[in-house]
Amino acid sequence: MTAITGRIRSVTAPVRAAFARVPRGVYSALGLAAAAIFPLLNVWGVVETAWLRVGVLSLLFVMLSLGLNIVMGETGLLNLGYIAFFAFGAYTTALLSSPKFELRWPFLAVVALSTVIAMIAGFVIGLPTLRLRGDYLAIVTLAFGEIVRLTIINLQDFTNGPNGITGIYPPRLASEGAIASLGDAAWAKWLTVDKPIEYYYLVLVCVVVVAILLSNLKNSRVGRAWNALREDELAAVSTGITAARAKMLSVVLSAGIAGFAGALYAYYSNVISPESFLFMQSVIVVCMVVLGGMGSIPGVILGAIVLQALPQMIREAAGAARSEFEVYRMLIFGVIIVVMVIFRPEGLLPDKLWRSESHEVDPRELEKTRQSLFDLEEGEKDLEV
Amino acid sequence: MTATLELQGVSMSFGGLKAVDNLSFAVNENEIVSIIGPNGSGKTTTFNVISGLYEPDSGEILLKGESVAGLRPDQVHDKGISRTFQSLRLFSNMSVLENVLVGMHAVTDAGVLSSMLRLPSVRREEKAMREKAQEILGMFPGRFSGPRQQQPAYSLSYANRRRLEIARALASDPTLLMLDEPVAGMNPMESREVMEQIKVLRDRGHTILMIEHDMHVVEGVSDRVIAMDHGVKIAEGSYHDVANDPQVVEAYLGKRAAEATA
Repeated sequence: MTAITGRIRSVTAPVRAAFARVPRGVYSALGLAAAAIFPLLNVWGVVETAWLRVGVLSLLFVMLSLGLNIVMGETGLLNLGYIAFFAFGAYTTALLSSPKFELRWPFLAVVALSTVIAMIAGFVIGLPTLRLRGDYLAIVTLAFGEIVRLTIINLQDFTNGPNGITGIYPPRLASEGAIASLGDAAWAKWLTVDKPIEYYYLVLVCVVVVAILLSNLKNSRVGRAWNALREDELAAVSTGITAARAKMLSVVLSAGIAGFAGALYAYYSNVISPESFLFMQSVIVVCMVVLGGMGSIPGVILGAIVLQALPQMIREAAGAARSEFEVYRMLIFGVIIVVMVIFRPEGLLPDKLWRSESHEVDPRELEKTRQSLFDLEEGEKDLEV
Repeated sequence: MTATLELQGVSMSFGGLKAVDNLSFAVNENEIVSIIGPNGSGKTTTFNVISGLYEPDSGEILLKGESVAGLRPDQVHDKGISRTFQSLRLFSNMSVLENVLVGMHAVTDAGVLSSMLRLPSVRREEKAMREKAQEILGMFPGRFSGPRQQQPAYSLSYANRRRLEIARALASDPTLLMLDEPVAGMNPMESREVMEQIKVLRDRGHTILMIEHDMHVVEGVSDRVIAMDHGVKIAEGSYHDVANDPQVVEAYLGKRAAEATA
């Protein structure tokens, strides 16, 4: 195995070196530009509207992965019930903006409340569970996700149970009166978001804002405290980090982002039902984070796009064999994850410092590192151990 | 004058084993005190009790007259006690610089919202932190210069990891610095260098409590030495008094050796 990967590495080395010289900001700008231009392909008639829908869902999963990455990648806590927070956001929105209770709250108020409710859920589940570590935490969060889903199914009066809530109103970015007063102004129709392209840009803006806020946070005192807890909890608390508080903050924040994504999802899909919040969805978000690279913001964005868009592409390509493909979808996911864990456990676009402990080290690489460290110390007479 | 650190009759047992038994001692300001003793004599347990990792069964621990016994480790750190670990505990996947910045966590206060928005106050604080980190890393000339600060901590040599742990502990300007075997595993050259650095720290006004097995280092830097055996303090005083104490010799070398020196 080492021989094969070693050969692949030596062949790709110059290419990788060339890419490494390009500053990361350039990639972010290119990615953003691509995301912004993508819907225009539909306008110009290059791709079908179905692809815009794939785009919106991919962006929603990007947001979910960014949220899960806070607890999994930054703080090192495994959460297998993450989709429950997504459900909290989605149902809050559905109840406040649908014929169910004859309500139509303003968009911003609905999104804010959905986020806050998901955060409260995060706090409530975090309170008893954050004492647990590793596998135990994973099992309890898994159970939490299932409890939320089953509660939704059984809370008929509020949620319509398995039938779900239908007819969710499209978001209005300004009040009804304000939109009416604009009359026939060409852009006034943009204030009511109801076409796929409008949803796409709305979600894109939200995702970009979340990504920027989170990358600021990553390189701050708070983000470093999370990383320290992930690396060595004992050393972190001895360095003055209050573990319970920092972990709670990361759980609540990630829950809030899921709630935010849930609100956008409910608006977009128009109909929500418990089927959208299965355990499998939590697993898929975990896979997105792992595939992209835990702790790496560009990584999880890529992971979410690949795992959300790829199956859709294959489904389209499969044509008549579509239902056949559905059967094998999870199997393909499994294979992808196994292959990743063997060949590239740090993810597709890993955080620059992330070392994968399970990686086999190429002795030549190690010698090179050692040599470069030794060069740094030239002029110092004493030896390093 | 109140001592910087004072232990009064501290005891700590694990089941039937009394790891620390009625231990009392004091560390005065700007003093270097070393704790010596054979393996299993309760030195590291003493450190863990002081730094809040264990709660003492009985006794009082005072930092500048204020009790810190029974507080959580992060609270003890907030009061001004900073430590290193015998078995290195760096944040391996974080850079050298980040390790030191984490050390400043308790003395900085950027919150989650202001950090997300990168408010001017956060930027100022971050800049000040980075400058201070440079100053602290600069105390180890040539060890953490330039590109090496961006390298992950796991890539460092063993000796540099120990240095980085000291740097991280210093980052919060602690009232008391506790070093658990700072030269363990180092070669004689490196031990001597660390020894000089510890002296520099005292000259800068730090108060240090240290566990060390290397007697050259203990002799070289200690103002006072405390010897422990089976959780009990068996001797205290200058290095020479303690090193020639029959009980200490017995603890290390056995009864016959103690009789021979007596």
